[in-house]
Amino acid sequence: MDYQVKLDIFQGPLDLLLHLIEKDEIDIYNIPIAIITDKYLEYLSTIQQLNLEVAGEFLVMAATLMQIKAKMLLPEANASGETDDETDADEDPRWELVCKLIEYKRIKEAARSLQEIEQEQLKIYFRTAGEFPDQTYAVQDDNLKNLTVWDLMDAFRVVLESLEVKLLKSAIPKPQISIRQRMQEIEALVLREKQVSFKRVFADVDTKIDLITCFLAVLELIRLHKILAYQPVLFGDIYLSTKEDEEKVCHPI
Amino acid sequence: MSSDLNLILAKATIEALIFASSEPITSKTVAEIIGIDEHTVKQIISDLIEDYRRSKRGIQIIEAGNGYQFATHPECAVYIEKLQKIPRNVGLSQAAVETLAIIAYKQPITKAEIESLRGVSVESPLGTLLEKNLIEEAGRKDAPGRPILYRTTTKFLRYFGLNSLEDLPRIPEWTGNDEIVLESQEMEAEAND
Repeated sequence: MDYQVKLDIFQGPLDLLLHLIEKDEIDIYNIPIAIITDKYLEYLSTIQQLNLEVAGEFLVMAATLMQIKAKMLLPEANASGETDDETDADEDPRWELVCKLIEYKRIKEAARSLQEIEQEQLKIYFRTAGEFPDQTYAVQDDNLKNLTVWDLMDAFRVVLESLEVKLLKSAIPKPQISIRQRMQEIEALVLREKQVSFKRVFADVDTKIDLITCFLAVLELIRLHKILAYQPVLFGDIYLSTKEDEEKVCHPI
Repeated sequence: MSSDLNLILAKATIEALIFASSEPITSKTVAEIIGIDEHTVKQIISDLIEDYRRSKRGIQIIEAGNGYQFATHPECAVYIEKLQKIPRNVGLSQAAVETLAIIAYKQPITKAEIESLRGVSVESPLGTLLEKNLIEEAGRKDAPGRPILYRTTTKFLRYFGLNSLEDLPRIPEWTGNDEIVLESQEMEAEAND
């Protein structure tokens, strides 16, 4: 059973960079390029571990970051000693990237306010119904509530790291479980317990391939609107629940 | 008396026209059909809108993209979804909304320009938006290769319940033409030299 998860859910390299910057509360005008480059590359390798094809744009950005890093290490080329305070914007190799990031941040803000309006509008039904019948396959950000895919990736990385220890203990390999099976299991678990922590899903997982299968199953369930992921507390644990359950919370009858 | 009666009749007719129209109907079309001036039509419709609002009905008349149409009240949404037994319309994907936001605020704009802003290919979201008639071609840019320009449609306004592009939410520090801001910053930097 081979599942191909579409990379569309990751909005691109600028999206990832913004996530890294916002997560560490980094000043966008003064990005520590070496640290960010390392973190960026770590993410790329996680994506590759998930067997997802890394889109060309991500690699181009990796190259750009490394180029900027190299430029910043170089001594100033025109060190003719005219002015020492010649550190204006044009000189900073990061400037072009910073401008792009700021502009992309604004686009995200604009998109967010459009989405808010859209969500209100979607509650209104018209007599001439069926305007957008082909919505079912659209990737569902609503199901991620206040989360981004990157937050899920963060949670996944934590589980991945804790597994390294567990791996040493297990000796007898278990039969491999398909993504479809995993999806059924996780859905049943969420239905039974109403609310399940993200970590809990990975509780009985002890091989890397199983872990990845499990993560892809969660992503696929979210995509199919079967379950919902949310984070009640900022930087807290991520929880999975059923859609119906969430509706009840939102609209008490 | 008779003018009052006429007004009641006109109001009922307009209500019926909005109800019967398969598409949002403009005040101009209504005026042409019943033969009264557009200004009066607009007044009667805002009266109707107010009637529905005041009596807290489950339906309302909505004005968007220069047309009027009947719609349900948003608070009834949960129950209508139960009736339809289809999954709630979840809206556009993140990629599509971002692409649409760029076009809405920066139109007319080429595909290459959108891609440079998003940092990824917009081939697929652009196709989705065109298919849904939320955007359309707006001629070609006078640049090498004469690339196609894109802009938003009336359907875009209706989808978001807006009357014009002026109603788009304002983005802080976004004047609609960011180059000006960046240029002025650069000029300041130069002036400081």
